[in-house]
Amino acid sequence: MFRNYVTVALRNLVKHRLYSAINIVGLAVGLAACILILLFVRNELTFDRHIADAERVYQVIMRAQLPGRPADTVANTQLPMGDAMKGAFPEVELRAAMVQQNMTFRTGEKLFSETVFAADPEFLQIFDLPFLEGDRPTALEDRSGIILSEEVARKYFGDEPALGRVITVDGQHDLRVSGVFKKLPPNTHLQFDVLAPIGSPAVRNLEQTRANWGAISSTTYVKLKPGVDAADFNQRFLAWSKTAFPEIRSPNGIVKLSDIFTPSIRPLLSINTDPIATSMRQGTAMTEIYTFSAVAVLVLAIASINFMNLATARATQRAREVSVRKVVGASRAQLVTQFVSESVLLTLVGLVLAVALVELVLPAYSAFLGKELSFNFLSDPGLAAILLGLTVLVGIAGGTYPAFFLSGFKPAAVLKGASSGVGGGSGRLRMTLVVVQFAISIALMVATAIVYGQFLYAQNKDLGFDKENLVVLEGFSTRAMREKARSVAELIAKDPRVAAASATAITPGTFDENNTNVRMPGRGSSELLVVRNEPVDFDFFDTMGMKLVAGRMFDRNRGTDYVTRPEWMRPGGQRPAGTPEDFQMPAAVILNETAVKRLGFASNEAALGQTYLAGAGQGASYNFTIIGVVQDFHFRSVRDPIAPAQFYVDPVQFDAVAVRVKPGDVPGALAAIDNAWKQFFPDTPAQRVFLDDRIQQLYDQERQMATMFAAFAGLAIIIACLGLFGLASFTAERRTKEIGLRKVLGASVPDIVRLLVWQFSKPVLVANLIAWPIAWYGMGHWLQGFTYRIDMNPALFLGAGVVALAIAWLTVGLHAAKVAQAKPIKALRYE
Amino acid sequence: MSGFPMVTPTYDRETNHMLKLVNLTKVYRTEEVETTALNSVNIHVKDGEFVAIMGPSGCGKSSLLNIIGMLDNPSSGEYWFAGEDVAGYGERKLADIRKRNIGFIFQSFNLIDELTVFENVELALLYHDIPARERKERVKEALEKVRISHREGHLPQQLSGGQQQRVAIARAVVSRPKMLLADEPTGNLDSANGDEVMRMLTDLNGEGTTIVMVTHSMPHAQYARRIINLFDGQVVAENLRAA
Repeated sequence: MFRNYVTVALRNLVKHRLYSAINIVGLAVGLAACILILLFVRNELTFDRHIADAERVYQVIMRAQLPGRPADTVANTQLPMGDAMKGAFPEVELRAAMVQQNMTFRTGEKLFSETVFAADPEFLQIFDLPFLEGDRPTALEDRSGIILSEEVARKYFGDEPALGRVITVDGQHDLRVSGVFKKLPPNTHLQFDVLAPIGSPAVRNLEQTRANWGAISSTTYVKLKPGVDAADFNQRFLAWSKTAFPEIRSPNGIVKLSDIFTPSIRPLLSINTDPIATSMRQGTAMTEIYTFSAVAVLVLAIASINFMNLATARATQRAREVSVRKVVGASRAQLVTQFVSESVLLTLVGLVLAVALVELVLPAYSAFLGKELSFNFLSDPGLAAILLGLTVLVGIAGGTYPAFFLSGFKPAAVLKGASSGVGGGSGRLRMTLVVVQFAISIALMVATAIVYGQFLYAQNKDLGFDKENLVVLEGFSTRAMREKARSVAELIAKDPRVAAASATAITPGTFDENNTNVRMPGRGSSELLVVRNEPVDFDFFDTMGMKLVAGRMFDRNRGTDYVTRPEWMRPGGQRPAGTPEDFQMPAAVILNETAVKRLGFASNEAALGQTYLAGAGQGASYNFTIIGVVQDFHFRSVRDPIAPAQFYVDPVQFDAVAVRVKPGDVPGALAAIDNAWKQFFPDTPAQRVFLDDRIQQLYDQERQMATMFAAFAGLAIIIACLGLFGLASFTAERRTKEIGLRKVLGASVPDIVRLLVWQFSKPVLVANLIAWPIAWYGMGHWLQGFTYRIDMNPALFLGAGVVALAIAWLTVGLHAAKVAQAKPIKALRYE
Repeated sequence: MSGFPMVTPTYDRETNHMLKLVNLTKVYRTEEVETTALNSVNIHVKDGEFVAIMGPSGCGKSSLLNIIGMLDNPSSGEYWFAGEDVAGYGERKLADIRKRNIGFIFQSFNLIDELTVFENVELALLYHDIPARERKERVKEALEKVRISHREGHLPQQLSGGQQQRVAIARAVVSRPKMLLADEPTGNLDSANGDEVMRMLTDLNGEGTTIVMVTHSMPHAQYARRIINLFDGQVVAENLRAA
C-alpha cells in the first residue's frame, strides 16, 4: 500500500514539474534557512558545556549604580574580593580571580605583544582545559611559569616541545613555559592564549590592585559544591558584600562601596546568552536567539503555505484519483494518510536539497558570523534527529489541510464528468493564506529596513569627533613607558604627514573607564556625584576634532592649566606623614555637556569659572576650575548613553597617543608613527589601530545581526513569491476558458493582464493592512532599546507595501501576459 | 475496517433481492431552487439479474446510480441492500459495504493516469487486506479475463478507449463484487468496442454477477434481461425481456 502511495507521489512529481519545482525549491530554501538558523542557535546555546561540572561553575558579575547614571552590569569584580571570599563561603568549592595585562614576549629574535591573563592556581582546577604539555592542576602554582596555547607555543617554538623553554617578558622577567593547552573550542566564552600565575613577577601593579576595592578590573569564577542553590548563594553573597566591601574616603566624605556595587553570580552556561559588554567574548542575547528562531519558523510557515496552496489549487487534478480510490474502498483516513505521506515525502526531497544548500553556504555563513558551525549530521545523531523531525513536522503541517481537503471529495460528480467536477477548491482560503504569507513578508521587510536603518544611523551618527584618519598608539604598558607618552606624541606631531598628535589616557571605543567622586562647594555631601575621569594633553581636543561649546581650551603657557603633582603623588610614591588631610592640587578642567548638567549648572556659560573638588586617589583631591565645555561625544557605541566626564591635563596618567594623520600619505604617516615609537622603545612592538576600525568593531555584531536578518527576510519574500507564481500559473490555466471567452467578446491583452494582476493585488494590499500595525508595534518596541534611535518613517511602511506589490505584479504579470496572448480558439476547444 | 457490521450478501431470503428501493426520493437543494431528481422510486433487483436503466438526459439516471452505488444518500425512502436498509448510513459504513460488494464501470473509464494498467487494477485490492502475492494473481486473472494482459505495464494514455474500458472492467471485477454498476460504459466507445464491452458484461452476468447499467444505447440495453425506464425522476416502465 505504501509503495503505491510513493509510486503515485513520485509520478505526480515528475508529471507536474513546475508545481513540484516550486514546492520543492520553496521547501528546500525554507528548510535550509531554518537549518542555518538552527545551527546558529544551537551553537549559541551550547557554549561552555564541555567544561567539567559546568553547571556548578559561575562567574561573579557586578552591578554598578553610579549616581546620576543608568545602572550598568559588568562581568568584572574587584581583585581583592576573590581573597576576601575565602573562608566566608563554605559552599564554594573553588574560586579563582584573573586579571588581564598586555606584555611583550621575546624568545631569541621573536618579539610579540601578548595579552596575558594572570590567574589564581584554582583557575585550572575549575576549567579543565586539555593540556598537551605540562600538568594542568599544578601548572599555575609555579610563579615563574607561563602557560601558552598550542598556537602561541607554535609561534615561538615551532614544532619543538615548549615545556621548560624560557620567554623573556617585558625585557626583565625570564619565565619558563609550564604548560601548553589545546586550542580552545570555538564555543566557549574563554578567549585567551596566555595564562600566567597571578603572583608572577611579570604582573604589574598587583599590590595596588589587590588593595583597591574601587577598581572593577578582574574576572572572578566560583565553583559551588554540589547541591548549592545559586539564588540562595546570591542572597548570602549580597549580605556579605554589605560588610565586606569597605568604605572609601572621597572629597564628599565617606562613600560606602556596597551602595554602588552589587555583586552576584551567574551560571557559566548562561554567559554566552547574557551578553555583558566587558565579557571576554561578545555573546548573543536571548532576544536575538528568539528573534531568529521566530524568523526560521516564519520562513518555514511561508514554505508550508506554498505547499498547502498549490496542493489544494491542484486538487482538481487529483480529484479523479481520490474518487476512484474511494469507490474501490479507500477510507478517508487512508486517503489522509496517503496525502500526508506524500507531503512528508516531498519535504524529504526538499530536505536533501536543503542539506546540499546548507553545505554549500555553510563556509561563507560561518565566516560571516565569525563562528565555527559544524553540520555533521551523519556523526551527530541529535542533529540528524532534529532534521528528520523538522521534515516530518513541516510535511505534516503543510500536508494535513490539503489531505483533508482532497479526501473530502464526493466521488459521484467527479467520476461522471470528463474533467473537473470540483471547483477550484476553497479559493477564499487560498487567498487568505496568501495574505498571511505576504503579511509576514511585508512585516519582515519593514523590520529589516528599520533594523538596518538603525544600524546605519548608529554607525554614521556624529560621534562628536572626527573618526577618520585617526590613529591610536597604545602599548605603553610600563610606568617608564607611560612617562614618555607625551614625548612620543611631540615627536610624532613634528612629522609633516601628521596633522596633530596628543598624549591621552582615554580613547573612544574601549570599555575602560575611570570614575571619580566630585564635591560641589556649598552643597551638602548627601548626593554622590560621580564623573568619568579623563586625563588628556593640551592638544587632545584639536587632535580628535572635538568642539568646544563654551570657554577655552587648555593652554600650555598657563601654569595653572595643568596638574602639578608633588613627588609622593607620582606612581609608586608614599604619602608622607603630616600631609594635610585635605591635600588639594589646583588645575583647570573642561567638562562635557552632560557633566555640566549632572553637576547642576544652569548653562555651559554658568559653569565657567566655577570650582569644585574631585577625588585624585591617595586621599588627595583636585581643586578644579572650569575653563571650558566640550560638546558631548560618544565614548563607545551610540547604544550607550553618554556619561558625564571631566578632562584635565595630568601627564602621569597618559597611556596612549592619539594621532591625526593627513589624508595624502597615510602609509608614510604610519611609518613615521612606528619610527617615533621605535626611537623610544626599540624592544617593544608598537600597537596602533585606526580608531574608525575599533569603533566599527563595536557595531560588528549589530551589523552581522542586521545583515542576517535582511538575508532571511529576503528568503522569506522569495519563497512567498515562488508560491504566488505557482498560484498565478495555476489560476491562469484554470481560467483559460474564461479568458478565451473574454477575448472572443472583445477583451484586449492588457485587459486580461489587468484582470489577473488585480486578482493577486488584492491579497497583497490586505496583507499590508495586517503587517503594518504589527511591524509598527514590534519595531517601536525594539527601537526603545536604543538611547539614540531613528524615527519610524511611514514611508518605510508604504515602501515595503509598494515593493511587495511590485514583486507580486512582476511574478503574476509575466504569466498573465503569456496566457492573455494565447489564441482564444485554443482555450475554447479545451473543454 | 473492523468495528462495522459485516455485510455478507445473505440476500432477502424470500424474494432473493440484491437490492430493493422503496419510495426512494432524492431532492437537490440550492439556496433558491429545489430540484427533485428521484420521486418515489421503487425498484427491485434480484441476485444475478442484469438490469438496464434508460431515460433521457436529466431524468435522474445518474442520481439513481449514485445512490445504488452508495456514493450518495437518498433524501427519503428505503434502500435495502442485501437485506439491510442502508439509506441512513454514514460515509464510513457505506464505504465499507461498497468496497466488499460493488464494482464500478464509468463512461470516462476513470483510470489513474499516473498508474500502469496493472497498478490501476491492483488499486481495487489495496484497500482490502489481501497479501501481495494473492493480489498479483488476482490482477493477472482479471487482466486475462478482459484480454489485456499484454499491456499490463502500459500507462492509460498509451491505450485505446476500448482497451481502457477493458482495464476499467478488470478493476471493477478484481475484488469479486456481487454487483457491478456500469454508468454508460459504452458511451465513449465506437460500436465495435462497445459491443465487445457488452459481451464481457454479459459473460460476467453469466458467471453470477448482478449488473445494473445506465445507458443511452437501445441496442446495448438489449443485453440486459430487464429495462427500467426513468422519466423526470420516476419509473415509467419496466420491460422484462424474454430471456
